[in-house]
Amino acid sequence: MIKKEFVYKSISESENKMLDDVEMFLDENKISGELKNRFMLCVSEAFTNALVHGNKLDPNKEIKIKYMLSNTTLNADVIDEGHGGVEKVNKRKRPELLAESGRGVGLIKHYSSSFVISENEEGGLQLKIVFEINKERVNCT
Amino acid sequence: MEIKVKNEGQVCEVYLIGRLDLASGTNLKEELKKIFDQDKNMIHLNLNEVEFINSSGLGSLVSIMKEVRLRKGRLTLSNLASYVKEIFEITQLSHIFEIYETQEEAMSSYQSVTAN
Repeated sequence: MIKKEFVYKSISESENKMLDDVEMFLDENKISGELKNRFMLCVSEAFTNALVHGNKLDPNKEIKIKYMLSNTTLNADVIDEGHGGVEKVNKRKRPELLAESGRGVGLIKHYSSSFVISENEEGGLQLKIVFEINKERVNCT
Repeated sequence: MEIKVKNEGQVCEVYLIGRLDLASGTNLKEELKKIFDQDKNMIHLNLNEVEFINSSGLGSLVSIMKEVRLRKGRLTLSNLASYVKEIFEITQLSHIFEIYETQEEAMSSYQSVTAN
């Protein structure tokens, strides 16, 4: 099992750094093609949710991301320091076609093998994204 | 993200290079505002070099499209990578955007509309 953890300030500039980090983690572990694109998209959506809805862009709050890679799964836990919101996320409806936001959770649900939302001990939200992968862990194009 | 603008003819051509996300989506909207301020309302976005897009990036494109509609103009997109196209389909945005395989096809569509 390979594990890696990153912590970010809740500022919009962190998004690009986070994408650089997840891309590096995937490249280091030879994950490419569709699996790479889809995993990056899901982590990015969870991160934006934590940044905007969880921590409300408060620079004093942090977002933690834990990556775990085994022969069968690729996981990301995205944890914020907000005040819950499990029901809010679960009850989120499909947005209107012309809405400018609200598509992130739908994309995570579409692409991931499983997606679990929970509250951690501190009250923040934890989004666990799981991708089942083949044993070779390689180019899934 | 790098944004290149070719604003010479009737249609303003905008080339997007890099990641289209929350921050770059905001930059893109600001760049397009400058174009709208010049009374241009025909916009073509070439996404050939967009290496990543998320729902925030999609949101910025929807916002631009709404602005173009308000100005009674036209917005076209072209050269979407297959995974970007897939995201447009999953979110059903492929139904509301005018998407062309190539920039040439998009540009000819403006000519045929003008000719009609």
